[in-house]
Order: sequence, then C-alpha cells, then structure tokens
Amino acid sequence: MTGAALGIPLWGLISVVAIPVFAGQMPEWNAEGMRARLPALVAWVLYGALFGLIYQAFNDLARTRWGPEAKASVPVPSLLTHVVILGGGFAGMKTAQCLEEEFQKNISVHITLVSETNALLFTPMLAEVAGSSLEPSHISTPLRSSLHRTEFVRGRVEGIDLEKRCVLLEGMNSSDGTSEPRQISYDQLVLALGSVPNYLGMPNVERRAFNFKSLLDAIRIRNHIIEMFELADRESDASRRTPLLTFVIAGGGFAGVELAGALNDFAHGILADYPNLNRDEVRVVLVHAGDRILPELSESLGRYAQAKMEERGVQFRLNARVRDAHPGIVVLQDEEIRSETLVWTAGTTPSTVIKALNVEKDKRGAVKVDANLSVCARPGLWALGDCAAVTDAKSGRPCPPTAQFALREAATLASNLAAHLAGQPLKGFHFDSMGALCVIGHQTACAELTVPFSRTRALRFSGLFAWLMWRGIYLSKLPGLERKIRVLFDWTVELFFPRDIVQTIDLK
Amino acid sequence: MHGSHDLPKSQPTSNPETFLWIEPCAAVLVSGVCLMLGHTQLATTPADSFIFGALLGLLFWWGFGNRANSPGAGLIWGLGFAALVWLLIPAGLLPLVTGTQRSMSTLSSARSHFPELVAYLVLLGMPVGLTLGIFGGFRSGAVKREFHWGRAIVVGGFAGTLSGLVFSRWMYEGEFYPLLAGLPQLNSRSEMVGFHFLVALLIGASFGLLFQTDVRGLGSSMGWGLGFSIFCWFFGPLTLFPLLSGAGVDWSADQGTALFGSLVGHIIYGLILGVIYAAIDRAWLKLFIQSDPLNREPEGTGVNVLRSLSWGALAGLAGGVAAGPVLLATGALAKLAGFGNGFPGLKGLVIHLTVSALIGMMYGLLFRNEGSSLSVGVPWGCVFGLIWWYVGPMTLVPLLLTGVADWSANAASALLPSIIGHLLYGAATATVFLLLEHRYERWLLLDPKNSLREQRRMRPVGTPAPALWFFALAMGVLLPILLG
Repeated sequence: MTGAALGIPLWGLISVVAIPVFAGQMPEWNAEGMRARLPALVAWVLYGALFGLIYQAFNDLARTRWGPEAKASVPVPSLLTHVVILGGGFAGMKTAQCLEEEFQKNISVHITLVSETNALLFTPMLAEVAGSSLEPSHISTPLRSSLHRTEFVRGRVEGIDLEKRCVLLEGMNSSDGTSEPRQISYDQLVLALGSVPNYLGMPNVERRAFNFKSLLDAIRIRNHIIEMFELADRESDASRRTPLLTFVIAGGGFAGVELAGALNDFAHGILADYPNLNRDEVRVVLVHAGDRILPELSESLGRYAQAKMEERGVQFRLNARVRDAHPGIVVLQDEEIRSETLVWTAGTTPSTVIKALNVEKDKRGAVKVDANLSVCARPGLWALGDCAAVTDAKSGRPCPPTAQFALREAATLASNLAAHLAGQPLKGFHFDSMGALCVIGHQTACAELTVPFSRTRALRFSGLFAWLMWRGIYLSKLPGLERKIRVLFDWTVELFFPRDIVQTIDLK
Repeated sequence: MHGSHDLPKSQPTSNPETFLWIEPCAAVLVSGVCLMLGHTQLATTPADSFIFGALLGLLFWWGFGNRANSPGAGLIWGLGFAALVWLLIPAGLLPLVTGTQRSMSTLSSARSHFPELVAYLVLLGMPVGLTLGIFGGFRSGAVKREFHWGRAIVVGGFAGTLSGLVFSRWMYEGEFYPLLAGLPQLNSRSEMVGFHFLVALLIGASFGLLFQTDVRGLGSSMGWGLGFSIFCWFFGPLTLFPLLSGAGVDWSADQGTALFGSLVGHIIYGLILGVIYAAIDRAWLKLFIQSDPLNREPEGTGVNVLRSLSWGALAGLAGGVAAGPVLLATGALAKLAGFGNGFPGLKGLVIHLTVSALIGMMYGLLFRNEGSSLSVGVPWGCVFGLIWWYVGPMTLVPLLLTGVADWSANAASALLPSIIGHLLYGAATATVFLLLEHRYERWLLLDPKNSLREQRRMRPVGTPAPALWFFALAMGVLLPILLG
C-alpha cells in the first residue's frame, strides 16, 4: 500500500512535470491537461502497488530462507580514549556537554564525569533557598538527565595518581559496613573540582560556622534560623534571646551580601509567627574586611547596596575580621558579637585533592594552566574553574573564579581537548566579563553590565529595575524548562503567601 | 500512542484456534452478500456479484486479514483494498480478460466507473474490513494496545460536537450544512441544526472508537480525519441519506459532482475533528494516564517542541522553494499574493516563502512524532501537502480574499494543477525535516532516553498507516479529477 500511495506523488512529479519538461514542452497546467494524464495516474498506482507487493514477497522469502536481518553490530573501536572530568559544577558539567557536542557519535572517546553530588547546583539562587523563597531541589538540575552519552559516577575523589594516570574514589558505604574504593583510569583528565571554604587557619570558626557552598548548607542555614526562632520564642530572658536572634555573616562579597539580604528578609518575615519576639531583637550582622561591601562592583553601587541594606535593618562591621568563635560568641578583632549563628563566606581555596597534587600552583593554591587551559608540563591534564589559575590569553589578566568565566573556559577546554586528540592547533582562552548582578533585599538589586565592545565602560542599574533584570537573566540561565517553571511558580507563590517555616531536617 | 501504557501488552483473548476458519468464511460471506446487494451498480447478476465478492473477500483475508487487528485498522485496510481493487480491475484486469476497451483511458470512461468505486468502498471495503477487524480484536497473538471505551466515546463525541460547532459557525450563515447534504428537506432550521450536531456527534464518537489506538498525535489524527471523512462522504450523503429519504441510491458521477461541495466540507470537518480529537485525547493522556509516574515518558516537552518548530520552518522554506516553480506556473502563487494571474514578483515570492515556513512549522509541530525514516515521513508529508490543498487554496485563500469559501466542483477543477505543487511541498518539507532531525539526533541516540523515543515513534508491524496514505492520497487526488 505504501508503494501505491507513493505512486500518486510520483505521477505528479514524473508524468505531469518531468516528462513534458524533458520532452521540451511546458507541462500542461490546466485541469484538462491533468485529466488527460489520468491513465498515467492509474498506471503509477498499479506500478507502485505491484512494486510494493514484489518487494514484500522477496523480503518475506528472504526472511524465510535466511532468517531475520541481523542487527548491525556496533563497531567497537580498537583505540579508546577515556576522558575523565572531576567535578559536577558549572565547569565540569559544561565541559561534559561541550565534549558531547565535539565528539558526537565518535564512540572511540568515552567521557566520564565524577561528582560528589548528582545534580548541578545553580548557585546564584542559593541565597533564596536559605531565605526560604525557593524550594531546594528547584535550583538543582540532575546531571544524569542533562547528559546524553557521558557516564556519570557519583563519588568523592580521594586522590589522583598522575604517573599511573588514574583517579581514586572514596568507597561507598554499603549496608554491611564495607567500603571499597574505586579506581578510574584516564587518558585525559579535566580538573573542575571547584573550591572549598578557607577558614584562614581558625579551627573554632571552621567547627562552629556554617558553610555556604552547597544545597545542604543552604538547607541547614534555613533550618537553623527557624530553630533559633523556636528557642527564642520560649526563652523569657531577653538577654539570652539576643544571641539566638543575632545572625552573623562573614564576608561582604556577592555570596555574603545576597545571603545577608535574604536572611534579613526571612527573619523579619517570619516574626509574625512568633508573637513573643520583638522586631528590634532580630539582628543580621555582616562582617567585612574591606571598607565597603561588594568589591566586585563599582564603589557607587557598593555604597548604594550598603545604604539600602541598612535601611532594611542589616548591620555592618566594615574593616573588621572574624578572629574566633565560641558557643554564643563571634569574636572580631575589637569586638565580640553575641550570636549562635555564624555563616562563613569570607574566603575559598581549591579543594584538598588539588592541594595534594604535584603540579605548579599559584599563591591561592589553584592549578596553573597555560593559555590553552592545559596544565603546564603535564600532558593530558587540564584544569578550569575555581580550582585553576587561568590567565586571559589576550589581556594577560587573571580570570576571576566565577561561574560566568567557568562556563566559557569549559567551551574552550572542550574544543582544545578535541583539537589535541585530532592533532590540530589549540586556541587560547579569552573572555570579557559581561558584568555582574547582586540582589540585596526585597525587590532591590545592583547590576553592572559591560558595554559591548568596550572593556572599560559599564552600565549601572539599581533598585527594582536591576532586581527584575536579575530575575529575568538568572531565570533564563537556570538549566531546564521544568526548573524554570518551578522557580517561577515559587516566586509567584511568594508574592501572595508568607514564607514557609517548616523544618525539613533534624539538626541534631 | 506515546505513553508506556501504549506499548504492546498482551490481553486476555480467546483460543487462537477458535477463529482460524471462521475469519475466511466470514470474509467470503460478508463481501459476497454485500456485493450481491449492489449488483445493479456493478452491472452484473446477483450470482456473479456474490462469487466476485466472495473471491475478493478471500483475497482480502489472505492479504490483510492478519493486519486487521481492530475494527478501525480493518476499516482502513478495507478501504485501501477497495480503492486498489477499483483501480486494478476496471483499468487492468477487466480489459485484459474481456478484451474490451472498457478501461480508464478517458475521463468519461473513468467517470462511468464511479458507481463501482462507491460500491467497492461501501459494500466491500467497509463491511469486510470491519468484520475482520472485529475478529482481529479477539485474535490472540496479534499486537494489542490498551483500549479505553470511556475515553474513546467521551473524547470522540466531544471532539465531534465541538468540530461541528466550529464548522457550523460559518456554515450557519449561508444555511449550508455539508454534513447533511443528500438528506431530504428538514422541516425547520432547528431540526437541521439538531440533526447536524447529531451527525457530528456520531462521526466523532465513531472516530474515537475506531482509531483511538492508531492516532498518535495531531498530525496522524489529521490524516485519519481526512481518510475517515472521505469515507463518511461516500457512506453518508451518497448512500445512507438517500436511503433514509427513500429517494433511492444514486452513485453516479453526476451525483458525486453535485455533492462535491459536501465532500470538501466533510474533509474540512474531518481535519478539524482530527485536530480537536487528538488535542483532547493528548490532554486526557497527560492528565489521567501519563501523570502516573509508572507511565511517564522519560523525556519531556519544551526543548523538543522548539527544535521541531525551527526545523519545521527551515524544512517549510525548502518545501516552498521546491514547490515554488509549480505553484508559479499554475498561477496559485500569483493568486496568493493578490496579483491575479500575472507574475507575482518579489512580494509574491516573499509571501509564498513566509507562508511556506509557517506551514512548515506547523508540520514540525504536528508530525514530529510520526516518523523517523523517509519511507514513513514522505507519505505523511504528501498527506500533509494534500490537506493543505483543501485547507489553503480551496478554503482559506478564497475565504480571505473574497470572504466566501468556494467548494464547488468548478473551483476544484480550476485549482487542480496546484495539487501537484502541494504534494511536492509536503514531500520536500518532510524530507528536509527528517534530514535535519537525523543530523541532530544521530549521536543523541546513544542516550537510552532518546533511543526509547525513537522506538516509540515506530508503528508496529501491521499498522494501517500505509492503507490510510493510499486511500487518502488516491481519493484526495482522484475525486477532484473525476468529479471536478
């Protein structure tokens, strides 16, 4: 029947159009001309039906005689290149995606991504999770769903043997208590392990402070705040309520400022549910070593942010550093703040695996890479993102450890890795920052956007417009349509309903 | 169907041996008796008609009996078989056997065979197809898909009524009800409206009952709507309504020409019904079946839809370029640009390519789940092109230019040459769309989720889709030639 059906368009194409044209005549473009070719239509249909019938008959005959057609076997390449990416953050995930695009159907290259978590965390929205505006899982994208041909291995990297070219993963605890480490060999290794908090050698701070790097950190902070409110609500002594309701954030960069703004909104927003507590008792204190917050932005925007946050009740300790932390006390160099809560955003350092690696590093401890993002004097080793010291190939300036740069580095690295395997020339990394955005509180943000083709000029925005810009840009950057819809829904709900104070994990 | 619930599942069936001998007997008996009833249309004696019908019934059972595994599939296979028999016997075998010139060498002789076409479709294809399809539904071993009676009747009935409403809005003003053509004069306007909706409801419910398991998405649903509506025209205005009125059946080509407007009306109604049915059916599936995590598809919508739209636009542009010369030569392009019959110039070309890209986007959206190979995609593309001949130059263009849709046989006759351009457009669009899709998805098939989607896109062995392509294309092209 398919043959008979296809006979009809073939009649049009060949009998009505092609044959007259090849005969040097114009096709007869009228009803009479077409009706005159009716017998040809019948002939084409019958020809198609007969062709289909004979084809099917021979097909059936062949199947009866020789059995069903053997499935084409997948060719197994004799030489397999194993590319292993360590880290499932922006840098690692984007590298895997770009490598998939580069190698497509080339199965001689096997890609493996190793990550401690099974999802990519969209860090720009992490403060909103801590502030209870967004559901935690809505800002994370599963790595397994986003990658098509990359093998995903969840695990913590224990060490890297550069000589034997293998990666050692920590063992996973099984039900019988055994734990067997796993070893993964590689031909090409991409280091995208990101960074960990740097407590500057203060063990008490490390023990008592909350990190603000992962989804679990944000959930812990949110639950801890609620816990503090619950304890304060049943505490009759006002002086003992003070440390419970004072929240100290160390670090006045993007992470610290956004978190301070979000926690300030959250803490004041849930007061309605705690009638025994007074608004004046709630304090959010931001401690920063510099003389102004947000050093990544221009001074005017930094001052604007500080003024706006002070209006909303956030207190600042500038030119101050956290020196120590004890139960109920955060110690600065010339002051003690009575607080049960300290969140550390004041510094990062490359992961411990990088520290143990025998490669050239900068003073921050990041792996030094050349302009092509390959590690100096280590063939087959590449690094990018927060754990790498990347220098712009054009300007010669060091690249900041931000997601914006990590994503562009990933594209260059994947392209260079593919070119390296193909024996083609590599290209240097170059990227001009597009600007930065920071939310500082309810419907208020700061934005500094670089003017295209001009490295020095920037457009500055603040207030509601900048906040709308922040939401629009980051919502579009959030991976996955489903996540976008969920976040949009969360934001809409937040407009009409108070923030949730249900505790979701046991802090004990 | 998309969901995993639609993957082949075994259902409790009767003993396979039970119907082994009943099926050929039933096919022989049904087709013999039915064709005997129409012996006058075949210009033979009742006995000859019975023997002839019995032989054809046996042939159908032998060739397509195994594929008729549901009443809907049986009906479509039956109609395709009947149309093929009509083309084969008067044109090929009969002149060969009898040595007469009674063939389709001229239009008038082809028109003289028109009653036989109706007889084969209504008295052979429909009854024997439905009969074997009903038996096929009980047959074990055949690939079965889950069938939901409630969903079929409710969705089909609602879609039919809604299509009747959409369809009647612009028919109502002109007091022209194509679905009721052939009926005797009803006493009042309210009776006419009521009967119009009754017919629409019945067609819709029948559509759901017959084709629930075959319809996969909006595209294939339009194809099934096209085929079913053409059949309904043969069965309703040409056969049943005259019988109900007691006027006697007139299957002549002249009567067909007189009811040609009703044929186009049926086709437009069928397309609307197909789209609405598929839309409601998809919504039902999403809400009540695929919302269950056990049935959910691993890949979501969103990005796929956007990609299909962009590929569809590119494919439509390529289709527009391929069909452009034909449409230009036939004057259809100039008419579209509002230039009479002259050369349309750059403006006409731009309009043509823009419309081509938009229609291509529609193709991408409607047919993205229908086929993964050229042997499946090109026939669907041709059906899509044919649909657009009925929707575009026959309906929308005159409606937009003059405010009136001219569905007369004369209008169809004038537009006949452009049908080739539309078929070419559909085939080229489908080909380019598939090439773009393959280029992108080739390596993505390494992802198990994508390879699962590819598997779901393949119709099972025995699908009535080829019969539908043939029936819809053959009737959609032949009827304007014969009756115009």
